[in-house]
Amino acid sequence: MATKPDSIYRAFDRKASAIVEFTLRQYRTKTSTWVVLGVGFTALALIFLIYIDVMSSEFESIDNDGDSTDYDLDGYPKGQELRLGTDPWDIDSHPGLFDPPIEPDPISMYINEDGFDWDITSELGSQTTGIDNDGDCLDSNKTDSQKDTNNNGVPCDIIVDFFRSSDGRIYSNIHADSGVDEDPDEDAYSREAIHMAFVLSIGKLGFVLLLGIFLPLFMATGLIRDEMSSGTMHFMLAKPIARSEVFLYRTLGYLGIVWPYVIVLGILGALISGFAGSGDAFFRFADLGVWLAIIFATMMATLVYGMLFNALGVLWKYGIILAIPFAAWELGMALLSMGAPDAMLLRFSVIGWAMMIVDAAAMIVWPNLDLFIVMGNWGGGGGGSGWNGQSLEGSGPLNFFSSKPGLGLSAFTAMIVATLVMLFQAAILWFIGGAIFKGKEIQ
Amino acid sequence: MTIPETTSSITAPVAPVAPVAPIIPQPVEYAAETPVTGKVRLEAAWGSTEGDEDFTTTTSSAPKPEGQVFKPQYQQWNGELNPRWMRNWAILRHHLLGIFKKGHRPWGMPIRLYLLVVFIASLSDVGLTLVSALIGDSGLHSIWGVSRDNLYGHVLGFFPRNMLYYPVVAALLVGGVISEDRQHGTSALYFSRPITRFDYVAMKFLSVALIQGLIILISLSLYYFAEIATMGRGWAWIIDTLPMFLATVFSAILLIFTYTSIGLSLSSVSKGKFFPGIALLSIILGTKILAFIVSNLFDREILYLISPYDCLAHVGQAIIGTQPTYDQYSWTWSLASLVAMNALALYVLTTRVSSMEVTRE
Amino acid sequence: MIPDFDQQGKAQTKQWVPEVTAPAILLENVSKSYGRIFALSNITLALNGGVTGVLGMNGAGKSTLFNLLMGKLKPSQGSIKLFGTDPWKNPAPYARVGFVPEHEKMYDWMTGHGFVSTFARLNGLTRDEASVEANRVLEFVGLTDVAYKKIGQYSKGMRQRAKIAHALVNDPELIILDEPLQGCDPLARTTIMNLIRELGRMGRTVLVSSHILQEIERITEQIVILHQGQLLALGNLHSIRERLDQIPHRISIQAENPKELAKDVIDIDEVYGVSFPDGKNISIQTHNLGAIHSQLPRIIVDNNHKVSTIDNPDDDLASILGYLTSGGRM
Repeated sequence: MATKPDSIYRAFDRKASAIVEFTLRQYRTKTSTWVVLGVGFTALALIFLIYIDVMSSEFESIDNDGDSTDYDLDGYPKGQELRLGTDPWDIDSHPGLFDPPIEPDPISMYINEDGFDWDITSELGSQTTGIDNDGDCLDSNKTDSQKDTNNNGVPCDIIVDFFRSSDGRIYSNIHADSGVDEDPDEDAYSREAIHMAFVLSIGKLGFVLLLGIFLPLFMATGLIRDEMSSGTMHFMLAKPIARSEVFLYRTLGYLGIVWPYVIVLGILGALISGFAGSGDAFFRFADLGVWLAIIFATMMATLVYGMLFNALGVLWKYGIILAIPFAAWELGMALLSMGAPDAMLLRFSVIGWAMMIVDAAAMIVWPNLDLFIVMGNWGGGGGGSGWNGQSLEGSGPLNFFSSKPGLGLSAFTAMIVATLVMLFQAAILWFIGGAIFKGKEIQ
Repeated sequence: MTIPETTSSITAPVAPVAPVAPIIPQPVEYAAETPVTGKVRLEAAWGSTEGDEDFTTTTSSAPKPEGQVFKPQYQQWNGELNPRWMRNWAILRHHLLGIFKKGHRPWGMPIRLYLLVVFIASLSDVGLTLVSALIGDSGLHSIWGVSRDNLYGHVLGFFPRNMLYYPVVAALLVGGVISEDRQHGTSALYFSRPITRFDYVAMKFLSVALIQGLIILISLSLYYFAEIATMGRGWAWIIDTLPMFLATVFSAILLIFTYTSIGLSLSSVSKGKFFPGIALLSIILGTKILAFIVSNLFDREILYLISPYDCLAHVGQAIIGTQPTYDQYSWTWSLASLVAMNALALYVLTTRVSSMEVTRE
Repeated sequence: MIPDFDQQGKAQTKQWVPEVTAPAILLENVSKSYGRIFALSNITLALNGGVTGVLGMNGAGKSTLFNLLMGKLKPSQGSIKLFGTDPWKNPAPYARVGFVPEHEKMYDWMTGHGFVSTFARLNGLTRDEASVEANRVLEFVGLTDVAYKKIGQYSKGMRQRAKIAHALVNDPELIILDEPLQGCDPLARTTIMNLIRELGRMGRTVLVSSHILQEIERITEQIVILHQGQLLALGNLHSIRERLDQIPHRISIQAENPKELAKDVIDIDEVYGVSFPDGKNISIQTHNLGAIHSQLPRIIVDNNHKVSTIDNPDDDLASILGYLTSGGRM
C-alpha cells in the first residue's frame, strides 16, 4: 500500500475544469437549456424590434404656447402679430397693413421655437437658467414686472430649485418667467427620454430581474438535485473531492453558460440602442457605460441567484417551489427600488444591490438625468399663454425607471459596495449550500 | 458447470416400467429469483407433481434426451370488447374523481385545497349579489350585479382572477398530468390496453378542462342564476341578457381550452412534476407583464399579441361587448393569435404523445 | 476476516496518510435505522485483500452497507473506516477506492472514453493523463472497440463494464461493486466475473454484492451473508455450505403405512433417526439430505408404499442460518 499522503485539498484546477466542462456539455444536451435561452432571446429581440420601431417614428410636435394659431383669422399667426406689434385678437390689425406689407410667416416657425437650453446641473439649491429664444419675453412692449414673473430680479429666466425634503429624496421646483422656454421640441426631448427609459427599463427589469431570476430558476435548481434524484451523483462523489467543491464547480459550470449568454445579449442591446438611439451621433458611445453596468449587474445577479437556487434544490427535492415566493419577493423589491431607492428593506434583497450598480452607472454616464426628467415633467410649464403645459412624453417612464442609488454614496463607491456585497452574498450561499449538501444522505 | 435438465413432469401415461437405474441427483441451476432452499432439491428428485399420487409414472422416468419444439399458433381473441366510450369514461373518471376521492388519481393535497379556495373565491360576486339583494342596496347591486362588465370580469377581469386564480389553477392541474407518466413509465398501463393515443390525450385534456370548467362555469352560472333568483328577474330580462351570458360562457371555454392546451403541451415536453406548471405561469404572467411594460413605455400594444391572457381578454371584450381596452388593433388579430397559439400547442402535444415510448424514456 | 477490535487508528490530520496497518474496510457495531426500521443492525466486519462476496436476499441491507461505506449515508450507530478514515467526514480515502454503483442511470450522451476520462480527472489527473488511463482501463474491461461510441448505444453488459472501468481508472486498492451482474446476459456475466477474479488475483480488495449464491461462488470463496440487516455468516463459502449439510435435517413423509415405510427407510446409512409425530407421518432425521433424497424414491417405488406428501420442514435460508448464529444447535 502506498504511503504517499493524499488530500482532497489538491488539484483544484483539474477537478474544477473536469466538472465545469462536464456541466457545460451536459447543458448542451438538455432541451430545457435551449428552450430557456431561446425564449429569453426571443423576448428581448421582440422588445428591441419594438424599440427600433419607436425610435424611427416621429413624435407629434405640439405648439405648447399656442402662438402658431391665427386667432383673429387675419392670416397671421399670433406669434408674428405679437412680434410685430399688431393685435392678435383683432382681425383688422395685422402686419399685412404695414408699408411695405409683411408676408405671413410659416406656422412651423412658431412651433417648438423656444425649447430647453439649460446649462445647469442637478445640484441642490437654487439656480437660474433659460434663454428666451423667440423673444416673446424680452419683447420691449412688456413691462419689467411682466418680464420677471418669478420675481427674482432677473428678467426672462427660469429658477430651478433642487431641494431635499424630510424623507431624504430630492425634489425640484421650477419657476419660469412667462414666455421663457415655453415651447420645447417634443420630438427631440421625447426621443432622448424614451431612449434612456428603454435602456434603463430593459436593463433593470429585462436583464437584471427577468433574466437574472428566470435563468437560474430553470437552470440552476437542478444542478445538484437532478443528479441526486437520478442516481448519477455517485459518480461524482465517490472521488477524493469535497461536496462543497462539487457544489461550487457545478455552479461555475452553470455560469459558463449563463454569463456568455448575458454578455452576448447585452452587447446586442448596446449595439441596437447605440445605433438606433436618439441624437445625431452615429453611435452613442456614452451609453456603453450603462450597458456594461447592466451586463455586470446581471452577471452578479445570476451568480447569487444561481448559488441560492442550487442550495434550495439541494435542501429539498421540490426546492423549486421555494424559489417561487422568493422570486415574487425579488420582483417586489425591484419595483420598490425604482419607487423608493432609499428603503432599508432593499438592503436585504439581492436585486436591490444589482439595481444599485445600474443606477450608479446611469448617474455617471448621464449626470444630468434628474435635470432632464425635471425638464420633461415641467414640459414648458404652461408658460406664456399656452394651454398645453403638460409633461412631455417619455419623462414619466424615465422618472419611474431611474433612481438614485440609495445609501447616498457617490456613484463609483456605490458600484463597488454593491459588487462586494453581492460577492459576499454569493460566498455565504456557497457555504450554506455546501454545508447542506454535506449533510445530505444520498440513496 | 453443465446445464442440467430438470426431471420432467407427467407428459403421457406410460405402462409401469421395470426398475430403472438409480437416479443420479442432478444439480439444479438456481434461477436468479428463486431463493436457496432445499425444496428445489426435493423437486429435483421428485419432479413437480400436480398432486398426482401415482408415483409409478413420475419418479422413475430418466431425464429425456430429446427436446420438443412447439409451433406458436396465434389465435385472435374473439371476445367482446367494451365500447370505446366506456374505456374513455374510465380514464376520465379516474382523473376527475381523484380530486375528492381516494383510489383514483392522487392529486396532491395543496392542489385540492387551492381548487377549493379558488372556487369559493370566485363566488365573491355571487355573494355580493346576494348581499345586495338581502340588504336592498341598489348602489351595491349596481356595482356587483350582472352586467356586461361584471360577466366579463368574472372570467377575464378583476385583478386576482386573471393573475392568481385561473392561471394558477391551470398550472397546478397540468403539472404532472403527462410528465409523470413519462417519468415513471406508467403510460404503459394505458398503451398496453386497447386505448389509442388520441383517446389517452383527449381524456386527459378533457379531465383538466372539465375541472377548470367546473370552477369557472359553475361559479358563472351561479352568479347569473343568483341574479335571476334574488332580483326577481323575469323572462324579458333573461332574453336580454342571455346573449352576453352565452358569450361569456364561450370566452370561458376559450380560456380553459387555451390554458389547457398550452399546459398539456408543456407537460408532454417535460418530465418533472413542477416544470410544466411553472412554465405555464411564466408564459401567461411573463408575456402579460412584458407586453404591459412595453405598452406603457412605448405606447405600442402590438406585443399583447404574444400574451395568451391579453388575446383572450380582447376577444372576450369583443364578443361580450364591454369596452375594449386594446385600441391599437382589431380583435380579429387576437383571435388569430389565439388560434395560432392553440395550434402550436396542440401540435407539440400530439407529436410528443404519438412518439412517446411505452417505457421510462 | 476476524474483526480486529484492537485496531488503533492514527488521529486524523489534514494530509491524509493511509493507515499502513489499517484494514481496507473496518466496520464496528454499525447500525443504520430509518425511524423504527433497521436497515442494518450491529454489523462488525473487517476486510483486507481478496475478493469478498456480500450475499443476501432483496432487502437484506447490501446496498445500505455499500452506501454507508461510500459515505453516502451516515451510520446511526457505530463507526466505519476506509483505510482508517471515516468516509462520511473525509472523502480523501476515495483516491484509493473505486465504486461501481447499482443505479442503472448513466450519462447516455457521453462516450465511454469521455465518461471514464472526465471522472478520472476528479482524482486529480490532467486531461492527457486521464485519457491515457481511460484507454488502459477500457482495454482491461474489453471496451476498446466501442470506447468512442455514446453510452446510450451500449448494451447492458457494456454499460456495466464501463462503470467498472470508471471505477478502476485511479488504480484503486479497494473496489466495491454493488450488484454488478444485475440484468446482464450470460456472456457479459462471464466477462465481468472474470474481471473481478482478475482484480482479486492482482491483490486488490474487492467487495461484490449479489443475491444469487451461484454467481458469488463463481467469483470467490469468501462470503459475507446478510439477512434482514443482520450479519448471518462470514467466511469460506464451502465451510458454510458444509455446515448447512451437517445440520440435522428432517424429512417429513405422510404415508398410509408409516411403520412399514420406516422399516425400509431405516436401512439407509445416512438416516440416524426415525420418529412418528402422529399416526400418519414419519419424520426422518439425517445429516445428509441429498443422499436421502436420492435413495428414497427407489425405496418407495420398490416396496410399493403409498406416500402422499414429502416435505423438508426446516430448509429456508433464515432458519438454516439461524442455526449458525445459535451455535449450531437444532
